Amino acid sequence: MATLEVKDLHVEVKEEKDQTREILKGVNLTMKTGEIHAIMGPNGTGKSTLAQTIMGNSAYHVTQGDILLNGDSILGMPVDERARKGLFLGMQYPAEIKGVTNAEFLRAAINARRPEDDQISVMAFLKELDKNLELLDMSKEMTERYLNEGFSGGEKKRNEILQLLMIKPSFALLDEIDSGLDIDALQVVSKGVNSMRGDDFGSLIITHYQRLLNYIVPDVVHVMMDGQIVKSGDADLAKKLEKEGYAGLRDELGLHVNLVDDNR
Amino acid sequence: MISAVQDYEAIKTAVKTAADAHGEPDWFVQRRLAAVDAMQKLALPEVKRYDFHRWPLMDNMDLNFRKSDTSLANDLPQSKGQIRFVQVGQTTVAVNVPTELSKQGVILTDIFSAFRDYSELTQKYFMTKVTKFNENKLTAYQQAFLNSGVFLYVPKGVEIKQPIEVYLIQDSTVKQAMVSHVLIIADEGSQFSFIQHLNTKGETENAAHCMVEVMSQPDSHVHFSSVDELGKNTYSFLHRRAYLSDDARFDWAVGIVNEQNTLGDITSELVGNGSHSESKVIAVTTGKQSNGINNRVVNIGKHTTANISQRGVLLEKSELIFNGIGNIIHGASGANAEQENRVLMMSDQAHGDANPILLIDENDVIAGHAASVGQVDENQMYYLMSRGIDKELAQRLVIRGFLGPVLEEIPLPEVRQEMIDVIERKIEDGQHFKQSNE
Repeated sequence: MATLEVKDLHVEVKEEKDQTREILKGVNLTMKTGEIHAIMGPNGTGKSTLAQTIMGNSAYHVTQGDILLNGDSILGMPVDERARKGLFLGMQYPAEIKGVTNAEFLRAAINARRPEDDQISVMAFLKELDKNLELLDMSKEMTERYLNEGFSGGEKKRNEILQLLMIKPSFALLDEIDSGLDIDALQVVSKGVNSMRGDDFGSLIITHYQRLLNYIVPDVVHVMMDGQIVKSGDADLAKKLEKEGYAGLRDELGLHVNLVDDNR
Repeated sequence: MISAVQDYEAIKTAVKTAADAHGEPDWFVQRRLAAVDAMQKLALPEVKRYDFHRWPLMDNMDLNFRKSDTSLANDLPQSKGQIRFVQVGQTTVAVNVPTELSKQGVILTDIFSAFRDYSELTQKYFMTKVTKFNENKLTAYQQAFLNSGVFLYVPKGVEIKQPIEVYLIQDSTVKQAMVSHVLIIADEGSQFSFIQHLNTKGETENAAHCMVEVMSQPDSHVHFSSVDELGKNTYSFLHRRAYLSDDARFDWAVGIVNEQNTLGDITSELVGNGSHSESKVIAVTTGKQSNGINNRVVNIGKHTTANISQRGVLLEKSELIFNGIGNIIHGASGANAEQENRVLMMSDQAHGDANPILLIDENDVIAGHAASVGQVDENQMYYLMSRGIDKELAQRLVIRGFLGPVLEEIPLPEVRQEMIDVIERKIEDGQHFKQSNE
């Protein structure tokens, strides 16, 4: 069993004219493999920042607190090392790279986790690839195309999940993996994530909408507002939010938080 | 300067003796001598914002013919049915042309045999029309001291599906300049692609003058690629030019991955109406090497289209200057010339520049340019590294993406892969060098 702990995490970003802005204001979160956690919350509240900071994006500066993977701090680790230790971030806006095929990229990512004298064989790789392509209803042709190049929004999201299935991380942070998906694509993507469920896999799913959580039923739901987790509960919490909105919860908790969309 | 003149007289005598002994036809010997004369008065070519005057390009002023060890070509790839020409130093090792192409009149042979056996074509086109021998000191040197090369003629209407592959291997096991010439004549309506591989064997410091002249007759379609991989002790001058007649299509896809200083001059002259050229060049520089590359298109005919795309990657303390020169001559109405010159800096100690130079003397044209000098895309790096790929491999993949638009122009998958491998090996060496110096 692996654990991922976020302790009193404060994060700021640089803005124009050397100004900084604090986005996370003391986040606490503990998750274990075998669990699916969902983070919900209004726009601009720090959900993506949390995922990017855990992965190690250099645009986000930790000013206080810690992130521990299996009890060890990962704050000093570069992005690639965090990934090899078992973290994965399904991105909202995956980069496009011409000249590098999807298949070649996938093999490089798998081999990065294996010792040099034990790289995955072509046969084993193709077998695994075929299985996952079928699961995600993707054509083989997708793997010979350049990485995300000219992919539609839905194809990019599927491709993120394909990577997840091939790389098999301990923890997957999925950042708005549902945005821009039609209902069929949403079902396929959910099927992919659900197929990973088990004792060796945990996931932190970031979403605006409860809809995704009908397909990937979370064990724990957290609500984030203004850089903090303000409430945690089970899957029913998401349903309640869908009904009452974030403002309702804010008022119930007596928080003095500006929701981004309030003043528009 | 009397002594200089006497030197030139002595050089002419020596050149004539060597050329006669080599069994060259008189017309060519006379051209050599005229070129030695011309050299005295001509200046070096000009490359904007670039200085190569101190390179040892013309140290070697003797004409020598010697046999090279053909086993230096043993490690070349070879596939069944390949159309192939191999030359090591001045020694032709292999010529494979399918019988049916020979029957159609396709000629692929070494340049000196061509001077003897196909003198009508070679006299007419060797450094007379595409490039003139007296353009500058280096072109005159080329004609005076030519010592190797290849001649290709594709007759009217002949279409060759398979690429013609030519391997020119510089023999630097001895002190001897490589002065090599590729003369290609694409007769009317012919269609083919040509792939050139330049390599060096041996460690002796030598110059390499590698010239390519392409005469594209009306309606011909020719695609030229080159994988340039000259050695670490070779100072090179790569002069490549195509002359396009009416409605001819001619494209360059050139990868300059030499290990030492290189002066590149790649030109498409669109003389014929309706002709079209795409000129794509990539270059990778490492160590302290310096590359200066002119990529020039000249719109002369009406309704001509000429596009330049150049991409360069700089590592360590290297220098790379890309000049994209778009020249539209008065009268070339309806001309279209776009160019894009981009360099990627992988080191803050490297010096790179991408200069678009537009010389336009006609109103009715469409011309544009884009240029950039940039760093590696951080977003792409983050994405690759978030999948566990280490920084160095991620950089190489991002670089490949940057070079992609030119790489995908190479017609044979194997040659494309060869180019990718050569580039990545070179980048890897550059990355390791940097680490060990940190």
